[in-house]
Amino acid sequence: MNGKTNRPLSRRTILRGAGGAAIALPWLEAMLPRRAHAAAAPARRFIVMFSANGTIPPAWTPTPGTSETDFVLSPILAPLEAHKADLVVISGLEQKGGGGDGHQTGMGGMLTGQLLNAGPFAGVGAPPAGWPVGPSVDQRIAEGLAVPTKLRSLELGVQVGAADNWGRMIYRAANQPLPPDDDPASVYARVFSDLHTDPAVLARLRRRRKSILDGVGAQFSRTSGRLGSSDRQRLEAHLTAVREIETRLTTDLVVNNPSCHDPTITPVSAAANDAFPATGALQMDLMTMALACDITRVASMQWSRSVSQTRFTWLNITEGHHDLSHRPDGDPAGDKLIAINRWYAQQFAALITRLKGTPDGASGTLFDNTLLLWCNELAKGNTHGRMGAPYVLAGGTGAGVRTGRFLRYDGQGLPHNNLLLSILNAMGVPDRSFGKPDWCTGPLTGLI
Amino acid sequence: MLRRCSALIALPALLTVACGGDGTTQETFPLCAVDQGPAPLRRITRFEYGRTISDLTGVPASVADQLPPDEETLGFDDIADAYSVSSLHAARYLDVAEQAAAALTANAVKLTAVAGCDPTAVDAACAASFIAGFGRRAWRRPLEPDELAAMVQVYDATSEPGPADGVAAVVAAMLQSPQFIYRPEPQVDPGGMAATEQLEPYALATRLSFLLTGAGPDDPLLAAVEAGALDTESGLLAQTDRLLAGPRAAELFVHVAQQWWELGNVPALDKDRALYRTWTDATGPALAEETRLFLAAAWQGTPNLTTLLTAPFTFVDADLASFYNLPAPGGSGFQRVDLDARRAAGLLTQGAFLAEHAKADQTSPVLRGKFVRAKLFCTTPPPPPPDIVVMAPSVDPRFSTRERFAQHTADARCAGCHLQMDPIGFAFEHYDAAGRWRDVDAGQPVDATGMLTNTDVDGPLDGVPSLAARLAGSAEVARCTATQWFRYAFGRAEQSGGDICAVDKLAAAFTGTRGDGDFRQMVRATVRMAAFRNRPPGGSP
Repeated sequence: MNGKTNRPLSRRTILRGAGGAAIALPWLEAMLPRRAHAAAAPARRFIVMFSANGTIPPAWTPTPGTSETDFVLSPILAPLEAHKADLVVISGLEQKGGGGDGHQTGMGGMLTGQLLNAGPFAGVGAPPAGWPVGPSVDQRIAEGLAVPTKLRSLELGVQVGAADNWGRMIYRAANQPLPPDDDPASVYARVFSDLHTDPAVLARLRRRRKSILDGVGAQFSRTSGRLGSSDRQRLEAHLTAVREIETRLTTDLVVNNPSCHDPTITPVSAAANDAFPATGALQMDLMTMALACDITRVASMQWSRSVSQTRFTWLNITEGHHDLSHRPDGDPAGDKLIAINRWYAQQFAALITRLKGTPDGASGTLFDNTLLLWCNELAKGNTHGRMGAPYVLAGGTGAGVRTGRFLRYDGQGLPHNNLLLSILNAMGVPDRSFGKPDWCTGPLTGLI
Repeated sequence: MLRRCSALIALPALLTVACGGDGTTQETFPLCAVDQGPAPLRRITRFEYGRTISDLTGVPASVADQLPPDEETLGFDDIADAYSVSSLHAARYLDVAEQAAAALTANAVKLTAVAGCDPTAVDAACAASFIAGFGRRAWRRPLEPDELAAMVQVYDATSEPGPADGVAAVVAAMLQSPQFIYRPEPQVDPGGMAATEQLEPYALATRLSFLLTGAGPDDPLLAAVEAGALDTESGLLAQTDRLLAGPRAAELFVHVAQQWWELGNVPALDKDRALYRTWTDATGPALAEETRLFLAAAWQGTPNLTTLLTAPFTFVDADLASFYNLPAPGGSGFQRVDLDARRAAGLLTQGAFLAEHAKADQTSPVLRGKFVRAKLFCTTPPPPPPDIVVMAPSVDPRFSTRERFAQHTADARCAGCHLQMDPIGFAFEHYDAAGRWRDVDAGQPVDATGMLTNTDVDGPLDGVPSLAARLAGSAEVARCTATQWFRYAFGRAEQSGGDICAVDKLAAAFTGTRGDGDFRQMVRATVRMAAFRNRPPGGSP
């Protein structure tokens, strides 16, 4: 299926790549189970990037040529020109969803392919909606990869803010949104602490935290047993979260990639509108390093939220993004929206560039075995339409998709669940359906 | 006569009410003793968590900012149905608990006060005493023997290199436990068939404390529980009045009112600085501080609609006075200043409300009118028809706001709803998008006339004070205020049945028999609700 070279690495190669003779044997011996796993299959990685409020379809859609590999990138996607051979641009799918207002529905269905449950969040012109009824595709991938990384997945955001179904896209399971961390300083402290803590101190801290969390877990079990059923479910969900961090805190970080190092971060006012680009750049740096250190293999980058009112002052745009997105077709605001979406394309390109610029042992770069998806909760902001929502995939030679193509599914009425299923399959998860079953008619033909 | 009397006294929710002139009649207690609504498990909000953990350990309340944001719905941060939990939550609770534990462990005075001895010394009895003492405060009730044993086990496993490490570990464990993070109310009779059961006194004290102060019970309240004082109405109300008189109740009122008025984002507000040249990075925080001080003053005075909606005073410092074009106040920092009553009307003319309910580059009669409908009358205008492209008109210096929004009333598809909002919003037109007074808009004298329709206080408007006067006299606005408070107080949307009675009683306490009620009396009436002192045995169904 994968037409490109994907040469398995010998263990010897990895050992050399990990520092060669300088590495002491006992350390290596301790790593053996993981190494054996890695030698069998290179680390597969998946990244989602989100930007909000729909696009300007005529300015997003590439100009097709004589074949799917012959196309000219659009004004919005032009910043990705250097990576064109590594892209799959996908048009014409219907982004399924339902249960809330346009933005809620788009945000909830985008990565889950599911309806929203009824719930407490009152949208515009729709009954109050809750969270989606199933997990997002990245979480299914994390489950399917079943790699014992320290973090099952890493959710990063830039000025995402409030915890509601307009602002959440990653779902561990039904009704379990995973909030993104908006603050690079806290990401640094939480994700990379192993790299800047003295090993003896770390060992003691782990023992100590295990005792604490064991005690905490026992209290959750004890307390939930005395409550009614729905209250009990809440505490049981919390207990699961406690068990997860306990596992993380007691999992050794195995550093076998010389690219992995303790990142440096510069202070940034993460909540200030004008710090949006700088915060995002830091988050992408941290994400790249988390992947290089194999702290996680599944990550997401959420720029703002649906109904984003980010003001792109660095592009000399002072109006809120969502306000602009409601202007009619042909309005002069269209140029600003093109500029905004183009800026997001630059960020996607910059993320790809970071991955390509980060060696992954001797096996090439982080990008080689990484699949990226850039998505949006809507196709168009001024109609809240989701037909023809903009999807861009990017991947290296081991990402499992054939790249350098523009795939048009316009007029076929295909649900985007098919794309999500194909992403799962490309990542090696052999599912036959994803999301709401009657919205998934099979893998997207021709992608893998 | 007796019948008529009891019908009358169903209205006020004060403990004793005038009935028939000179006599007083004690109203049936508790209020609304039918149709017990659900009582879903509450998680303490970031606001409550910060205040409570600060009380317990001395760490700054702002550590709560490290937690993921609370889910917000119905405008409030404490709606139980909306909560979710993730490993990020668990990681943050761990991190903050460790910070708090370190702060407490470094505070020998506080440690000794809790334990009655020095728990950082090698002394197992003292350690147990500390665990019991701290646990009682953190978990808002005494530890049961197995809980105590479990925490002693944590202490024993972590007292390396010394006992202080064990103490810190126990504190960290307790602060991550459900008894702290949540407000579990154990079933008194798990197999019981009753529709409701009375809360046990510690659970009642916990409800009371969070309701009135936004923090866990203090020592006097726990002592009152242990003395049996909460078992009687007078004892419960005595604690209620004690807590209502304290600074924490004022802070809680500010917190609730800020959410009700949609002001949570004000410190981060920004405006198009090419159009609003006096707006700086400091303006949003200053506007938030102005409103905070105003609300606190309203609470100390008479927190009724007249004060909130019409009071002609506010608080400014020299910079904010300059922003508003007011004379600089005497003294340093924020000072109370009187305003021109022909222009000023309480919260409605403060920059926080006005700038929040406006665009970055223009005023929004829609946002301001919609706020009045949705948050003061509790009627949300229906959304635009699906085929309409919704957008604010472009700023055009040749046309006034009113002219640019004329399409809303010219187009029949828009007019139906926008006639509910825009004519209210136009009354605010003397205040620009930054919240400052203006006489001229697009070269024309401001026209701040409008119309209030479909309410109990309909009539023509000209400027905010005319609107405020009508709103302050509206029974519908009073009832909507009670509805907002009900949602915050019970952490859920109101339902049919008993909740209708509850909101009626709260509204009556807010209004008073002769217009002499206020928010404080409404809070007090909440405590007297059957729903406040009882719960369905299953919690939430």
